[in-house]
Amino acid sequence: MKRVLMFLLVVLISGLGFSVKLTFWTAPNAFQEEFWKSIVTQWNKLRPDIQIEVQTIPAAGSSEEAILSALAAGNAPDFSENIFSGFAAQLADIGAIYAFDNFGADFQKLIEARKMKSIIESWKIKGKYYVFPIYSNPMIFWWRGDLLKKLGYNEPPRTYSQIYEISKKFADGKKKFTMQVISGRNWWDRWFDFITYYYAATSGKPYIDISKRKVNFGDDAGKQISEFIYTMFQNKWTAIELGTNPFYNGTILAKITGPWEVNWAKETFPKIVPEIWFSAPPVPDNYPKDKPVYTFADTKGLVIYSTCKDKKAAFEFISWVFSNVQNDVLWIEKTQMPPAREDLTTNPAFSKFMNDKFFRAYSSFVPYAVPPALIDKTIDIQQAMTTYLIEPLMYLKGKPVDILNKAVKEINKILF
Amino acid sequence: MSKERSKRSKFGRKERLFGYSIIIPYITYTAIFWGYPFIWMVVLAFTKWNYFSKPTFVGLENFARIFTDSTFMRIALNTLNFLAYLIPMVLTFSLLFALALTKVKFGKTFIMLSFLVANVSSGVAYSLLFSNLFAINGPINRLLDKFFGITIPWFSNPQLAVFSICIIITWKFIGYYGLILYAGLLSIPQSLYEAAELDGANKSQIFWKITLPLLNPSLITVTVLAIMLTFGIFTEPYMITGGGPMQRTTTFLIYMYDTAFKRINPSYATTVAIVTALVSYAIVMLIRKFFEKEVSFV
Repeated sequence: MKRVLMFLLVVLISGLGFSVKLTFWTAPNAFQEEFWKSIVTQWNKLRPDIQIEVQTIPAAGSSEEAILSALAAGNAPDFSENIFSGFAAQLADIGAIYAFDNFGADFQKLIEARKMKSIIESWKIKGKYYVFPIYSNPMIFWWRGDLLKKLGYNEPPRTYSQIYEISKKFADGKKKFTMQVISGRNWWDRWFDFITYYYAATSGKPYIDISKRKVNFGDDAGKQISEFIYTMFQNKWTAIELGTNPFYNGTILAKITGPWEVNWAKETFPKIVPEIWFSAPPVPDNYPKDKPVYTFADTKGLVIYSTCKDKKAAFEFISWVFSNVQNDVLWIEKTQMPPAREDLTTNPAFSKFMNDKFFRAYSSFVPYAVPPALIDKTIDIQQAMTTYLIEPLMYLKGKPVDILNKAVKEINKILF
Repeated sequence: MSKERSKRSKFGRKERLFGYSIIIPYITYTAIFWGYPFIWMVVLAFTKWNYFSKPTFVGLENFARIFTDSTFMRIALNTLNFLAYLIPMVLTFSLLFALALTKVKFGKTFIMLSFLVANVSSGVAYSLLFSNLFAINGPINRLLDKFFGITIPWFSNPQLAVFSICIIITWKFIGYYGLILYAGLLSIPQSLYEAAELDGANKSQIFWKITLPLLNPSLITVTVLAIMLTFGIFTEPYMITGGGPMQRTTTFLIYMYDTAFKRINPSYATTVAIVTALVSYAIVMLIRKFFEKEVSFV
């Protein structure tokens, strides 16, 4: 009897000793949450020795703020997703995240299994891989096809001049505006306006030269974009405030958005959804007609924090999730966002999604979607872009060229 | 020595223990929640730290940076802008509320509580509510458009955005400040009014010569509270305007928060906090020096 008790005690102690509980933070988005909860439930059943607890990133101004506050307070999760490359560079800089290179061949195997050999290269921070990219959302324009048809158009406009032409027919400067030109005042909104327009106008040229730590957008393309934004505001073809849901209630003809809006739009505005047309971001008039138009890739990944209780266990979970293509299929089903893999159009596992016009449209832009600059001062730079470039253009404070030149000067100061 | 012993002997061991047991919780609380953060604040102000590395001593570098920081100067001007709207608005409307309360005969408690509800409401909740209310296609603008054919860019015009935020803050504090002024009004002896009336003073004379001067202590209290409030504005601009347009609604607290948690520079954020506290203290002292008057009813 004594022996049996001793044995049970040993089993219990060893069980307790070897079981690890890891906290995993996911994006505060209902669809992503659903995906991760179902994946983690499966994993927890399979591996009682590595138990994962899913929590959504606490409500804050942004995920970055929530994560930084948690790091400062010492209650950061073991690993989390929803990390953009610039933020990862910032975290790597302060030593808050753990490089995947430390897992050696196992990491390489995972990259091969998930078909992301060239994608991962654009995520290298100071020669190391700190982030495991999960998805890559090309930003594209949605147009109200029904309203464009009424105006006599069969396809969305491509160039700035074409947009001006439509504006003259549609916008009244009071209740009707052509499009949402500026996405908002938050620092991340610059990804979805100026940076997107810059990638489009330059075939994906980086807006910041990371090696020289200098701004690139003070060039001709930058001038043309500034002129475009200024013209749209000057003529009241767009407005600083467009109210709630302006695209769906017909106040504007177009807006830029990512695939995260698809499921919500289908549920909330089922009558408008069939009328939506897609286009690349607008380009300057002299942009070659035969050249593809590039756009911004809103791409997020997963990181393991330096404070993680068991990094190997966290990596085991990550490998298990992403080496199975069916999990990426489930990801698309739940979130509609294209996974960061290179075989989206060739792998038969994804063929069923190609019937959906939204997924087809977004997938077609994946090869031309460029991620943000891998710079540690992303937030400062983009806040300065808001203050010195976007807002003066919106409020018509000076000539577009002067505004651009001043912004370039100020941002170079931050970079230097 | 002998004196000390005689002092000690006044209390027995039991009494001393009882005394200590009463003050120890307070001292422990103060040491943990006030003393420790205070020491940490001093350490941070003279070092550079990024949450992970060890703090490195930088002397007065953080303080020197403030003098060349254009954003800090912008925020100082913004705060003056907020003060210029908020103090008159809050004083006028709280005083009107307090004066109105003196005329109410029934349901006074209910009215007071109704106004205090705003004060205890969640900042995030009412900010969202006001941002929808004042939105360009929100109910207020729809009404204005219907009757006058105009819309007001409440939060997108730089100067109007400051004003709109002041409206929200005034709405929140009318009840609280109004009660302070109401208590002040009640403490003015009725006999003074009667004497003035007998002397033939009219209502306006009574207000300007008796009510207002004798209300000075309460008015100063409200002004001081409102100044401290202005230096601590955060939720409303953070939720509604994000510090814009043109950085005009960026406040010291937003800047501290952004510096600490977006720019990962808690050291500089702490220095900004120290300087802000000193500036607000100086303004409060100036107001008291120039406007505070001793009032006695005897």
